[in-house]
Amino acid sequence: MLRARGDRSCCDRCAGAAGGTADAARVARRRLLKDAVFRPQAGLLPESGGWRGRGEGRRHDPAGYPGFGPDSGASAPDPLAGQAGFPDASRLPRAVTGTVLDVSPHVLVLGEPGGRPGSEQRFTLTGRATTWRGFATEPTSLHHGDRAVVRLHPSRRGVADRIWANIGRVTGTIIEHTSDFMVVDEGLTRSRQIVFIPPRAAGRIQVRFPTLQPGYLIDVIGLRGPDALEGLIPATSQPAYPAGQVPEPPLVSGHVPDAISGSATWHEPAGEPPGVLGVAYPALDPETGCAEEQQPGRARSYGRMPYLAVGSSLLVRNDCNGASCVLPVTGCAAVARLFNDRCVTCGTSPRGRVADLTEASFVALGGELDKGCINATITIGR
Amino acid sequence: MLQTVQIPLLAAMLLGGCVTKLIRALRLGSLDSGLGPTALFPMRLRRPVGLAMSALELGLGLGLIATAGPIGPGAPATCVRLGTGLLFLVATSALLELRAARPDIGCGCFGDFSHSPVGWRTLTRSALLALAALITIGLRPVQQPHSSAAAALLLGMLAAELTVIAGLSPELGEALVRLGYSEPCELRVIPAERTLTALRRSKQWRRHAGLLTADIPADVWRELCWRYLVFPARYGDREAEIVFAVFLRQRRPLIHAAIVDAATGTSLPWAAAPSRARWPGRRGTDGRSAWPTAPDQEPAGGQPAPGPAEPAGPGRRSAALY
Repeated sequence: MLRARGDRSCCDRCAGAAGGTADAARVARRRLLKDAVFRPQAGLLPESGGWRGRGEGRRHDPAGYPGFGPDSGASAPDPLAGQAGFPDASRLPRAVTGTVLDVSPHVLVLGEPGGRPGSEQRFTLTGRATTWRGFATEPTSLHHGDRAVVRLHPSRRGVADRIWANIGRVTGTIIEHTSDFMVVDEGLTRSRQIVFIPPRAAGRIQVRFPTLQPGYLIDVIGLRGPDALEGLIPATSQPAYPAGQVPEPPLVSGHVPDAISGSATWHEPAGEPPGVLGVAYPALDPETGCAEEQQPGRARSYGRMPYLAVGSSLLVRNDCNGASCVLPVTGCAAVARLFNDRCVTCGTSPRGRVADLTEASFVALGGELDKGCINATITIGR
Repeated sequence: MLQTVQIPLLAAMLLGGCVTKLIRALRLGSLDSGLGPTALFPMRLRRPVGLAMSALELGLGLGLIATAGPIGPGAPATCVRLGTGLLFLVATSALLELRAARPDIGCGCFGDFSHSPVGWRTLTRSALLALAALITIGLRPVQQPHSSAAAALLLGMLAAELTVIAGLSPELGEALVRLGYSEPCELRVIPAERTLTALRRSKQWRRHAGLLTADIPADVWRELCWRYLVFPARYGDREAEIVFAVFLRQRRPLIHAAIVDAATGTSLPWAAAPSRARWPGRRGTDGRSAWPTAPDQEPAGGQPAPGPAEPAGPGRRSAALY
């Protein structure tokens, strides 16, 4: 397998392998190089910043790329916005991630523990702000130190519209199942997860996941603890096949369609900067040396999707509310491609997962984290 | 004579089923595929059940052939034919159960070709084969036809029965689709090594090789039908990078190239540079002082750029996106 010279020890999409900033720089750099080859239209390229090249003393600067960088939310200027029908990311609801430092009936303060003074962010809580912390509750139920994802009001940026506290998700293959917990494999680039299902949620989860046996797939949402996830909500219905026996995808003749519909899910950040806008794509080029692709006898993907790389652009549209945004491919959805589930958030989507969004992207597109998926259509930037 | 036709037909069906299952198992590296009625069994039993099915098909198929002639008539032939009939009867019942329990999966009778959900055609075929096996019980050793007319009649009956079986086989359509299938370039797995080899044989490479400072790409990635390779280069006294975009097809891929400033990423005009390997008398050696302005494109091997049917870039169908 051809390996490019460089510092990629694993592959070019391993979460956290090079850090979010370096990944962002690579994404921006690839776009520029691609545009250089294919004669871009004037005005489509970022005006300044661009990318800094290799070598000492050069700063990786993702400026000019939509939504990259910690807590950029959807507020970063999108160079493609307004061009050729691309939606403006800045018009989407902004998602903010942080740790709860203080909460009162009217104000929520987010920040980082030990952060510098003045770095806190304050958000107004209205009576319509809804909160999830294992179940729907009042904002005052938030605890100091909770990790919160906040969707801001689209028109009033200082007002919290929706809050999810300590929400977590485990999607993968069951490796071990005891009476107390499950060990779940989320792919080679993520550490294994421990899930325990409390008795009050066991019935609800087993309705949708009847086969909690090693080798089968699981996807649950719950409260993230320091060592394990407390599984509370089934994020989908369990595929009937084990992870190693994904059904043969149907053959595709001619050219693959420009737009592909299916289910779009979200994932917890693993090495990604909080608040990053991006999407993990189920079909990265196997020649990039991705760890999952090198596994002998690896499970094949449920769907046949065109090969892309980190840095490719996808137009992701939430079919439920029409919101859409151009997002960069920031990783490989190695587990998402094993699912042949449908999303039924609004209507019934075609089978298969077409994108695995970051929390911020999912929230910005109007998804509810505790629902698990949105009916989505992706259009691949060409 | 009708009974005589059944023996080769049944043997072919059994051996065909065994071989296609074996090919599937080799391709997947596992017998736990759970295709067909084995999906009704618990995971731990799927492998032994799959193995037993394949072994039974192989044994009965060979047994039908071996006992058809003067060798092994009587009890051995009866046992094999009775076993074949029972196998197809059990298979018919299992398919009925599969259709009720797992209507989404195929029968798996012929491995990868049997992905269509079990329908009336598959059920009818299985029942007919059971009947065909049972009517051969008591058949005397098969002999060569005594006359050409008898041979023609035998062949005609075989052809007619094959036609009926083909009509009852959803696998036939799948096989025809696969025969004429060409995977779209967006889905085709093409090794990066092959792309690099094609690039190094191209005129684009020879033209710009003098600017390169390394033979190993600094970055390689793929989008849809294009693979991009970035090489470090020198542009006068500046660090630069040359990016090649290679269309992913087997022969004479279309190649685009551009040179950019390594620090800023801005495109640079091609400057005159010594080529590592110039071909006398060909284009590019005519004393031009400057190379074509980026981006220039040319198929590998110096062929003229194809017409409109050839993709000109990733904006082939949706130029609005870029």
